[in-house]
Amino acid sequence: MSIRIVVPKLRLAQLLRMPGGLPVVDAVANAERNLATLRPTCEAELLALLELCEQSFATLGEEFDDAGLEKIYAIAVRGIGGGRICGAPAVDTALISLCDLIDHLRSTARYDRKAVGVHVSSWRLLMGAGLPEAGAAAVLDGLQRVSLRYAEAPRDD
Amino acid sequence: MALDPQSRIRFNLEGAAVLLVDETPMGMSILVSVVTGLGAKLLYRCSTVEQAQEAVAQHHIDLAIIDGLAPSGAGYDLVKWIRQNAREPNCFAPILLTTGHTPANDIVRARDCGGNIIIRKPIAPIVLLERIIWASKEGRPYLFSETYVGPDRRFQDKPPPSGTGRRRGDAAAAAEAAPEAVAVDDAMAADIDRKAGLAS
Repeated sequence: MSIRIVVPKLRLAQLLRMPGGLPVVDAVANAERNLATLRPTCEAELLALLELCEQSFATLGEEFDDAGLEKIYAIAVRGIGGGRICGAPAVDTALISLCDLIDHLRSTARYDRKAVGVHVSSWRLLMGAGLPEAGAAAVLDGLQRVSLRYAEAPRDD
Repeated sequence: MALDPQSRIRFNLEGAAVLLVDETPMGMSILVSVVTGLGAKLLYRCSTVEQAQEAVAQHHIDLAIIDGLAPSGAGYDLVKWIRQNAREPNCFAPILLTTGHTPANDIVRARDCGGNIIIRKPIAPIVLLERIIWASKEGRPYLFSETYVGPDRRFQDKPPPSGTGRRRGDAAAAAEAAPEAVAVDDAMAADIDRKAGLAS
């Protein structure tokens, strides 16, 4: 097998060093300010995704339902990143836990409808205002424990 | 790789053409907010692979930030397409992959598509900036092989393997092994110095 090696000149390296530009501290502050303006839109989009997810969960089969799990995964993964913008970073962690859980279930052909359900209802809980930080941490801890239960391959015995 | 968020060091993204790919309106808004906050002005926003391929074919791209587009993983295929099919210099553009979650059966695909680095969502501006600066560093070789096209993934700054000397000792070792070859190299070096007016 032949391998060709090229060391390219990257224009970006030169551009970054051009005079002008921004100090890191100002650039990061600008970006955070821009993100803050997105909060209402992100909240609305996350709520719309949550409603879709609740509808999909309601139709999720009692027996192993791969298509249903795939649908919920596709909804949850689209919401990751929005929680930080809405001031509810715990939502991102809960959605990652839900995606992990569905990935474990689908890749090992196991099924736990309740475990998916608890993630979906926690998403609603964590979106609500007024949940104390300690309460959110306890919810996340519980979700991650549920998800980790399926992280290991099933035993044959 | 850590960059101090309070640093006064300046960088300039104003002249950079940035390709952004994310299929969700929320994901795209977040990317645009962060990248424009960091100073980028010329953005190509694409919500589909087809739009991105068109943008790459028509415009010069200095940096690409591409979502993996789970669950299909089409973003990884787009990166592979850029590395294998885009014309120079776009095929060498630094590519940052973003992902909310990577399914277990897509991890190899994500690793082998040719992106410079993978960033997990939620994206913090300081993290994105760190990765942009890191990916823009020159001198990283790109490999073209039958199975992989992209930046060399072996980039750890480690000392030479045990039992191997430093490269600067190579000349002495070579002189011992083949003294005539080194003598020729020395003569060539002296000749170059003389022509450049550097000889004493």
